[in-house]
Amino acid sequence: MPFAGIDIGSTMTKVVIVDEKEKMLASHIGPTGAEHRHLALKVTEETISRTGLRFDDLDFIVATGYGRINVPFADKQITEITCHARGIRALFPGAKIIIDIGGQDSKGIKLDAEGKVANFVMNDKCAAGTGRFLEVIAETLGINLVDMGEIGMKADGFVQISNMCTVFAEHEVTSRLAEGAGVAEIVAGLHEAIAGRVVNMTRHLGIEKDVIVTGGGAKNAGLVLAIAGKVGFDVLVPPEPFITGALGAALVGKDFYGRGVRPAGERKFEEVKFFS
Amino acid sequence: MTALQNIEEIYENRGGRARELRDAGKKVIGYFCCFVPDEIITAFDMIPYRIQGSQSDPIDEADAFLEPMACPFARSCFNMALKGEYDFLDGFVAPHSCDTIERMYHIWNSNKPSPFNHMINVPHMMGPSSDAFYKKELQYFIVRLEEFSGKKLEADKLRDAVNLYNRRRALLRELYELRRENPPRVSGTEITKVLVAGMGIPAIEHIELVLAFIEEVKQRPQPKPDGLPRIFLWGNEIDDIAFIKLVEECGAHVIMDDLCTGSRFFWEDVGQTDDPLDGITRRYLCTHCPRSLEPQAGNRKEDLENRFGYMKDFISRWQAGGAIFYIVRYCDTCELEGPDLREYLNSLNVPVLMIEDDYSTSTMGQLRTRIQAFLEMIG
Repeated sequence: MPFAGIDIGSTMTKVVIVDEKEKMLASHIGPTGAEHRHLALKVTEETISRTGLRFDDLDFIVATGYGRINVPFADKQITEITCHARGIRALFPGAKIIIDIGGQDSKGIKLDAEGKVANFVMNDKCAAGTGRFLEVIAETLGINLVDMGEIGMKADGFVQISNMCTVFAEHEVTSRLAEGAGVAEIVAGLHEAIAGRVVNMTRHLGIEKDVIVTGGGAKNAGLVLAIAGKVGFDVLVPPEPFITGALGAALVGKDFYGRGVRPAGERKFEEVKFFS
Repeated sequence: MTALQNIEEIYENRGGRARELRDAGKKVIGYFCCFVPDEIITAFDMIPYRIQGSQSDPIDEADAFLEPMACPFARSCFNMALKGEYDFLDGFVAPHSCDTIERMYHIWNSNKPSPFNHMINVPHMMGPSSDAFYKKELQYFIVRLEEFSGKKLEADKLRDAVNLYNRRRALLRELYELRRENPPRVSGTEITKVLVAGMGIPAIEHIELVLAFIEEVKQRPQPKPDGLPRIFLWGNEIDDIAFIKLVEECGAHVIMDDLCTGSRFFWEDVGQTDDPLDGITRRYLCTHCPRSLEPQAGNRKEDLENRFGYMKDFISRWQAGGAIFYIVRYCDTCELEGPDLREYLNSLNVPVLMIEDDYSTSTMGQLRTRIQAFLEMIG
């Protein structure tokens, strides 16, 4: 019995298919375009093709992420907060705190003893503490986003970045460069700044072991290290941090199905035009 | 036309009825917040008009006078005044409810004065002298209105006004009683329309509308149980349906509130006293606005109980499964009160989602994920 989870984030679309034993059958990641619906279809098609199944074989489909309402063939829309919690719970049974650093927002989620969401905090109003912040500064520094983690970890100390506003921080970085600061030390400073921001936001939930870092930001080893430094102990990272939301969505779908919830109507596996 | 359609029309066209009455020779007195007694203005045969902002219009002209980090509700109201939308007011009355309103009164008064302008001083710290202080301030307000109208205030008229508003309070409580049903036959969105519409028309007309609306709600069939979470709202000014509608669209029933545009302005009656002004003084001073402070009593638990105990009834009798705080950004008093209230409600096993937002309908969509996640969490 296959269940699909589709996570449409602000920058990436992720699809995961699991079976009734919660085993992952396939996953796929593609960029999110302006045409969410079109992409959701393409990435889902690709994922299904990897399992050898057909669309009609999917018993339940859950859409999540900020584009979740744009998936016409999903049986339910569930927020990424619930889905991340479910996905992380499957991967790390001891998880208590999840720090999710996404493309355009960051979240802290507290799990209760049963692994359910007990509380959460969210920064969704500005780029501070998000992947977008790193992306903008990477451009200013003329380096690749994917290399940032490695570069930052080679630094000898770090340059204090005090502006969390992306626009002002960009200006601050330019000033520090002009003063002769090294790129590696600036990158390390950015990691410190973002880590400080998300950890302080999460602190109000009560930080305790195990802390899991997920989302695109978890791909940056330097940032993860900085977060561990702020938290005061080691943090864990899923093998594929991009897809925990989609995995959780697939598992939430499996849970629904297990409780007897069935798809409401006939699903049309087709894209829907934004402007009809 | 149904009562709801009537209410919706008044809600959409705020100020329309007040303009009509003014054209017919009535004096309309605009005021802010929950500390200006409607009864006094009504006893002078004038129309009290609760000033509202506009969540759907951007704030532009007011930015030349007020810093952007000032309360966006206050800025929005002043913005409307600058654009001439409050030119129909004969009077402008502001209580010293909070510092922003107090300071804005002076800026408003300097740049856009009404024929009658007045500020009522309201004590912040409740203590043995508060009643006497506030009563004196209300007496001074009466003297100013006497000068403005050229008429003496008649005690009988004040007593009549007290009875009139108590009648409206009783009716609104009756309407709120209907929200206790599960699922309720009346939505939080509809309640907001009823209350906001009532802030710009004479109480006697509002009473007729509420009466008719209650009858309409009672005629509605009882919906099937839906298991949706029941939400208690706490915060300040929600004079637009956008936010409450969003919460309800996300899959919840908004069933009770402690908002200055909600139960806070009408819940308690004015007591019957020999001098009606004594009852009025007591009633308005006890308004549960976080700008007022009770001296700390006992240990922390007792202090929280003393400050927030009145909400216990709202939570239990209306069976709220969760609370959402909607705080208009930069409202210091609410932001400082929020964490204490959250602690108190959590101690009653009520989960809390605290939202701080601009006073604007354009930012609502961003709140959707947080509200949905909260509903999933408590559902």
